[in-house]
Amino acid sequence: MLPWTRGCRSVRSVRLDPYATVGFTIYTAIAAMAVFARQLAPYDPKAILKVGNRIARYLPLSPEHWLGTNSSGRDVLSQLIWGARSALEVGLTAAFAVVAIGTLLGLVAGYLGGWADRVITWFADIVLGLPFLPFMLILAALTRPGAGVVIFTVAALLWPNTARVIRAQVLSLRERAWVEAARVTGCSTARIMFVHLLPQVLPLAALYGSVAIGWAILAEASASFLGFGDPEIISWGGMLQESYANQALSRGAWNWFAPPGAAIMAMVLAGFLISRGSEKLLFPKLADQ
Amino acid sequence: MLRLAAGRLGHLVLVLWVVTTLTFVLFRLMPGDPTLNFLSPSFSQETRAALLKGFGLDRSLWEQYLIYMGNLLRGELGQSFLQGKSVAALLGEALPNTVILTLVSLTAAYAFGIVAGAFLAFRRGGVVEALAIPTTLATRAAPEFWLGMLLLAGLAFQAGWFPTGGALSPGKEMGSFSESLISADYWWHLALPALTLMLFLQGLPLLLMRATMLEVLNDEFIVMARMKGLSRWSIVMRHAARNALLPVVTAFALGLGASIGGNVVVETVFAWPGIGRLLVQAVQSADYPLAQGAFLLIAAVLVVMNTVADLAYAALDPRVSVGAKR
Amino acid sequence: MKRWLVAAGLSAIPFLSANAQPAGDAVRPLVILTQPQAASPQDYQAAEMTAEAWKALGLKVTVRPLPGQQFNQIVWYERQRWDTTTWQMVGRPERSDPDELTYNLFVSANIANGYNLVGLNSPDYDKLAQAQREELDLPKRQALIRQAQELINQQQPYGFMVHPKNLVAFNQTVWDESSMQVQAGIGIRNFWTWTNLKPKGTQKDVIVNSVAPPTNLSPFNIPGAQGSWATELVWDRLMRIGPDGLPRPWAAESVTRPTATTVDVVLRSGMKWHDGLPVTIEDAVFSLEAPGFGDKAPMYRPFVGNIAKVDITGPMSLRITLKRPDAAFLVSSLSKLNLAPKHIWAPIFEDLKNKPETAESIMEKVPVGSGPFKFVSVKLTEQIVLEANKDHWAKPNVDRWIMRIAPNVEATLGALKSGEINFLTDYTGDPDLLTQLAKSTPTIKVADSLDIGFRFIAYNERRPPFNDVAFRRALSAVMDREALAADAYGGAAVPANSWISPALAFWADPGIDKRVPGGSLAAAKKILTDAGYVFVGNELHYPVGVKETTPVYN
Repeated sequence: MLPWTRGCRSVRSVRLDPYATVGFTIYTAIAAMAVFARQLAPYDPKAILKVGNRIARYLPLSPEHWLGTNSSGRDVLSQLIWGARSALEVGLTAAFAVVAIGTLLGLVAGYLGGWADRVITWFADIVLGLPFLPFMLILAALTRPGAGVVIFTVAALLWPNTARVIRAQVLSLRERAWVEAARVTGCSTARIMFVHLLPQVLPLAALYGSVAIGWAILAEASASFLGFGDPEIISWGGMLQESYANQALSRGAWNWFAPPGAAIMAMVLAGFLISRGSEKLLFPKLADQ
Repeated sequence: MLRLAAGRLGHLVLVLWVVTTLTFVLFRLMPGDPTLNFLSPSFSQETRAALLKGFGLDRSLWEQYLIYMGNLLRGELGQSFLQGKSVAALLGEALPNTVILTLVSLTAAYAFGIVAGAFLAFRRGGVVEALAIPTTLATRAAPEFWLGMLLLAGLAFQAGWFPTGGALSPGKEMGSFSESLISADYWWHLALPALTLMLFLQGLPLLLMRATMLEVLNDEFIVMARMKGLSRWSIVMRHAARNALLPVVTAFALGLGASIGGNVVVETVFAWPGIGRLLVQAVQSADYPLAQGAFLLIAAVLVVMNTVADLAYAALDPRVSVGAKR
Repeated sequence: MKRWLVAAGLSAIPFLSANAQPAGDAVRPLVILTQPQAASPQDYQAAEMTAEAWKALGLKVTVRPLPGQQFNQIVWYERQRWDTTTWQMVGRPERSDPDELTYNLFVSANIANGYNLVGLNSPDYDKLAQAQREELDLPKRQALIRQAQELINQQQPYGFMVHPKNLVAFNQTVWDESSMQVQAGIGIRNFWTWTNLKPKGTQKDVIVNSVAPPTNLSPFNIPGAQGSWATELVWDRLMRIGPDGLPRPWAAESVTRPTATTVDVVLRSGMKWHDGLPVTIEDAVFSLEAPGFGDKAPMYRPFVGNIAKVDITGPMSLRITLKRPDAAFLVSSLSKLNLAPKHIWAPIFEDLKNKPETAESIMEKVPVGSGPFKFVSVKLTEQIVLEANKDHWAKPNVDRWIMRIAPNVEATLGALKSGEINFLTDYTGDPDLLTQLAKSTPTIKVADSLDIGFRFIAYNERRPPFNDVAFRRALSAVMDREALAADAYGGAAVPANSWISPALAFWADPGIDKRVPGGSLAAAKKILTDAGYVFVGNELHYPVGVKETTPVYN
């Protein structure tokens, strides 16, 4: 089965690339943190810890608190570990949504052409005219601030780039011999699109997906920083906002402030590394980099 | 070309119309009583009702829409609830600050990115490349406000080299924006936010320049030129750079549009009085005429710059024509 | 057979005992509303600490932050909707007399629309509040105020938390500290300091800060705490609250009270408006009457509500006739109402008659007052610049008074350090940081003073179980006010159990914070069980037969 084999080969090649390897390692580490949060975190991230009668504020690094505590007496390391959960949830969900929508629309526009293509392209242009952060802010103010708004905004505003690229690839694939063959043997349009073409474009879609994970995390962090994040859940963006609001920098509480930002950076970086790793596969002319 | 431009302009108008309508719908769904920030808690019911009427909020949605569109076309954006000034005036004050910040950062980012990207395209393999690529990606991966705060803490609080926020020192007022532009104080305040943005933005042009240059350097006619015996440097200058610059220029135009709206967090961290910060303040205080006006302006700039990018691309690369026939 | 019955009986016991205690429904999960952490980290932490404390009573409690506008909207306008919220009453000079808060916070007349947010309905209290308002004999009034505080202590409509300390810092190389005035309950950040301040060196501009942008600056608007500092300087008043906390004539030469319902005012002569025109007796009459024109100055209207009429009795004198005796009139009205120029504002009021806007929303291009400072420029989100009025009889020693608006607390500290501001007047951050900064920077000095205001958690009596005084007492009893003051408010506060701060030494009831009914977790639980509540395992349930009918806050 030609399409699948090609896909498998892509995955194998990607895994051998150093950039992508690092990227996947980071993702694995974060996923491990998220899945095993309960076992890994030394404390309940929301528990206000006490020293005697008083709150355990701004405790320095120690064997009991590897990253110390924050201004409301909570263990920073535990928060960091649990933060991975919402990072993954938001990141994966948003990325999946972007890829799903973008791929679907790109497929339809590329294969069906005609008015479907025109409508979708026009729609994409409108969406590209909406500024990302401002839109998300307003949406958060309209509804309840939280992960839902972030995921929705990412999905609703970032699909056009994916769709465009998928569409371009579909346009070129459309003329290939085996597609022609499928058509001639009576395969339905839907079957051609989803069984034959879709696996071909998936690697490309996945590439955009891995970048979209990063944008989603950054979007959530920005929203939280401006005060529009979900106050109920622990997230890295929320940790940054809290530290900012409590003047952690003036205090020199780098243990509170640096790790969440670094974690975000790592996760977004992982997405970039993976997509760069895949780039070699998809743009073979640059293979001798 | 003319037909192309006209087509794009028509498209632009259409997109603008849809975006403004969408904004209207969005803002009418704002929670709570929109005139609230304007009213004191001790107002009587009658006064509130009267004020609601004065803002036209008691009419049907359709009527409100028509009033809204009519006002927009006349440039009338309403009155800010919080500040009692016209929204257009407030936006007019804030827009130049955002434009300067964006232009300066973007230009610096692209200048740096283009040079560094070209440099890296030549320096293939080796330690330099192995370090430079991940570092560049890391700058793009880090949250901008985090970068900004690190710079603020280090260079402004700790070292005291830069001011801690705002656009001018206390007590200095400039008669007009052009006066600000030529004052050293303004630029001193601009330095850190611009540096932050620049750090964040330089990754894209750097990598783009490098990738496209690599692609072009491999192109056949370059190989031909080399065989003809021209020096490597002159090849680059004459042939490769011209072609590689095309996507970079397009990205610049797109980046300009996106940055205007994306400056929100940097402006907040540095208390830079631009449109982004105005929007955040407006949303936080339900000053909805102002929030709506700011959003519209940002969206309009974005749409216009997208069109400019399209036109620039077409102008620079005549091989591409809009609406490829199938 | 018998053994079988006994065994069956024994095995049924766990079953029975679980349901042995009949109880009402479980109390629904409660929500404490508060400001976002970035806006007020102290209130936010106080809310969290309180939520923890209440959990020990078997309650499920969460803290819900709301952005500023939504917060005000829900608490003030949707009074059926919220369970509890953090809130505060700010200290102002006019609140040096307890009347404003004593009356407005708890009388039943203010339940629907006024300051009685919690809906306390106590006819006894209404009587007390009215009596203290009209009692001109000081010792008798003091006794009434004491009674009022004890009544509220028993009723616990609020979970009082703390009286904050104002933290102010200044650059002592720029300013001569001996020229500053300490005002009771306000500290050094007051009108008298600004007008008396002596510069030590070449810097002659006072540069202060504010973290929140003020609303319109108009003599008929109360622009929030920070904006008031500016309006106090630009517009004069007939009287002002002195550093001793008592009203003294200011724009008036003398103020006398011949009878319980009359006030005679002699206007100071030679005063001029900032546009050059003289201040006349008609201006004074206008300023006293205008807030009563329809509903055009709603913030000030209550303060002229007791004025029956104002008559001109001489070229520079007038007589105010009150409807009822009013012990606090000089403080809450004459020291509060701004003198506004009739020639500018009368036409504005005339014009507003047929429009929905009020005078609060009008801001002149260059506002004109008669105060010791005059307007130079204003950008409400960035800075307000005032300059000294050289023609004023109490002209300041400084050149300009500038207020710099920056919501970023860290940037503000940096600005103080670098000299960009030389007076830190609005500090909402961590008190430790400020103290550390002062220690490490010899140019900076910190001054703190106990504020007139207070912070509290409001219990909405419109929603059960907050309508039950036993429940409220239990909630208040488990709050550790010392810990709140030390941890949430960083030591810059003292425990509170009354709206009257110890800063008002004459009116305060010292030790009332130790007299919260109950006062410990065990006692609080007992209060609840005595009132019929049932602890089922770790959950608090209503008394038998009571159902939870109120929906959870959403």
